[in-house]
Amino acid sequence: MRFLVAVLVLGSVVACGTTSENRSAGPATGAACKGAGGKYVIGMSQANVAEPYRQRMDDDIRAAAKAVPQFEVRFTDAQQDNSRQVADVENFLTQQVDLLIISPNEAKPLTGVVKKAFDKGVPVIVLDRKVEGDAYTTWIGADNVEIGRQAGKYVAEQLLPNGGKVAEIRGLAGSTPARERGDGFRESIRGRRIEIVVSQDGDWLREKGQEKADAILKSTPDIQVIYAHNDPMAEGAYLAARAAGRQDALKFIGIDGLPIPSGGLKAVEAGRLSATLIYPTAGREAIESARRILLDCQQVPKTQTLQTQLITKDNAAQVYAKENPGG
Amino acid sequence: MTTDFVAETRRASVRSMVFRFQSLFGLVAVFVAAIVFSPSRDGELLFLTSDNLFNVVRAVSEIGIIAVGMTFVILIGGIDLSVGAMLGLAAVGSAVLLVENDFGLVPAVLVVLAVGLGFGLLQGVASAVFGIQAFIVTLAGLQIARGLARIWSGGQGVAIAYGEGPGEAPIAFSLLGERTFNGLVPIPALIFVVVAVLAVLFLRGTAFSRHVYAIGGNEKAARLSGVPVTRVKIVVFGICGLLAALAGIIHAGQLNQGSPNDGLGYELDAIAAVVVGGTSLAGGRGSVVGTVAGALLLGVLNNILALNSVDTNVQLLIKGLVIVVAAGLQRLRPS
Repeated sequence: MRFLVAVLVLGSVVACGTTSENRSAGPATGAACKGAGGKYVIGMSQANVAEPYRQRMDDDIRAAAKAVPQFEVRFTDAQQDNSRQVADVENFLTQQVDLLIISPNEAKPLTGVVKKAFDKGVPVIVLDRKVEGDAYTTWIGADNVEIGRQAGKYVAEQLLPNGGKVAEIRGLAGSTPARERGDGFRESIRGRRIEIVVSQDGDWLREKGQEKADAILKSTPDIQVIYAHNDPMAEGAYLAARAAGRQDALKFIGIDGLPIPSGGLKAVEAGRLSATLIYPTAGREAIESARRILLDCQQVPKTQTLQTQLITKDNAAQVYAKENPGG
Repeated sequence: MTTDFVAETRRASVRSMVFRFQSLFGLVAVFVAAIVFSPSRDGELLFLTSDNLFNVVRAVSEIGIIAVGMTFVILIGGIDLSVGAMLGLAAVGSAVLLVENDFGLVPAVLVVLAVGLGFGLLQGVASAVFGIQAFIVTLAGLQIARGLARIWSGGQGVAIAYGEGPGEAPIAFSLLGERTFNGLVPIPALIFVVVAVLAVLFLRGTAFSRHVYAIGGNEKAARLSGVPVTRVKIVVFGICGLLAALAGIIHAGQLNQGSPNDGLGYELDAIAAVVVGGTSLAGGRGSVVGTVAGALLLGVLNNILALNSVDTNVQLLIKGLVIVVAAGLQRLRPS
């Protein structure tokens, strides 16, 4: 017991000593740029790596950072928990990272801690999902409405030029990308004699896409195209159609086009999906912006919207090879 | 012969002392290890900076508060799997009442706490009166609380904006995300400390606490010796629900949002804190002090692994090992 007390007292004395010294030092504010001669630690706070899209984002960042010898990137995974992501960012601030990249789990809960980092003088690059307000350096992402529009345009012009019936399998109810991908699609098919006869939530998941498509094929067998808000759900719908022996009569279209073996590019190349639209991870662009901020001491635009690309059988293999140089 | 006996008794009492403060020793050990392994910058240990130490306490405050309630339930030999979902329900409730129904701060907090208390009491009734196992009652409670949270929120996160007008929450609620004492001490950490102190006092010497330990030790014997087993059990589940709701209110205040998915899996983190804190899942043995130490131990561990940028997947392995070791130590404990 006496030993325990001694250790506790010692511990608190040590703790207090360091505490008071540290207060005067304070975090470095002002210009983060030390030029090309400096060494930089970058913190990358990822919302979760269970989604292949987010794992690929981390991989893209890792690959791009390898080409910049001044950069060391540290990754955290918040496992879809807002609180955990707040703690992850706080830990990065304790480590005094030179720049923060964050792909927020949700906008509102992460806004505060991102602002805290930004106010301390740490440049913040926000990827994919946004935060509120303007206390960040730059946001890089894609325009989901535009992606939905392109998907609708492809269906209207290529798959159903004479009109027809479409089933929609939507992303998670209440999520912004699900709403935007749905809205853009509807905008493009307006006045084209194309009708969305059924629309169901597939929660972004392959197995849900399969389950919903099973039901759709039974309830509305006269549909011609299944539009899924991401590739895994489109693949699930394909599986359902194959089980019903109808995979060749139907066309499937997804979104994301991840350049990984289980991703949409390979599915289009193999002919399971008619098309997909690239939803860029912005990983490479994030490191490019970090390089401009830290090494070149330049400004970057507040908003960087990335372009999508339509992938069909014609270009799937070529884009896959380009995204995975060296195999 | 007698001297042997005396020595033996002394050894046993030293051993029981060690086990009594097992979690404190563990906490000290992990704390010292954190100091040793702390990265430093400009000659100062990052782990020991006041900002960081308070971050640790803030990060464990919600789980810690839940774990205090869980300690009571586990002490009577029960378990409560519904606390994470209850946190989500309470977070959603706080957001909806403050923002959509324009409740004042105090009424909103009281309603949400009452929901938590009532929900816990109902689970207690199902377990104690109808004799359904706590695991099953609270597994069902988990589903029900999540379902209610989804219905109450309309299926998505309810953002909390602050201000005086309609549709805005009182600014005082945002204090939960703030720090006091010169911007140093996070409010949630303060609440955690207050809850822990109250619980420790409550479990020291009151008749209720003796009943809790008696039920956990041997329910039948407790009943025969006149302990109001049913009533105590119901109250214990009520306390656990109440504290989970309190954690949910704090959660909403810290994140400015109440989402039906909040608190996913928190029940397991809370159980881990209780177990690492030396409370036996079989009931009858353990303490709130241990649980607080257990929660802090896991928090310090999380923090030092993060400060060293240990890969997230490896972190899971290390945390798993710590839990197993803590549970294994209990087997050595003198009975």
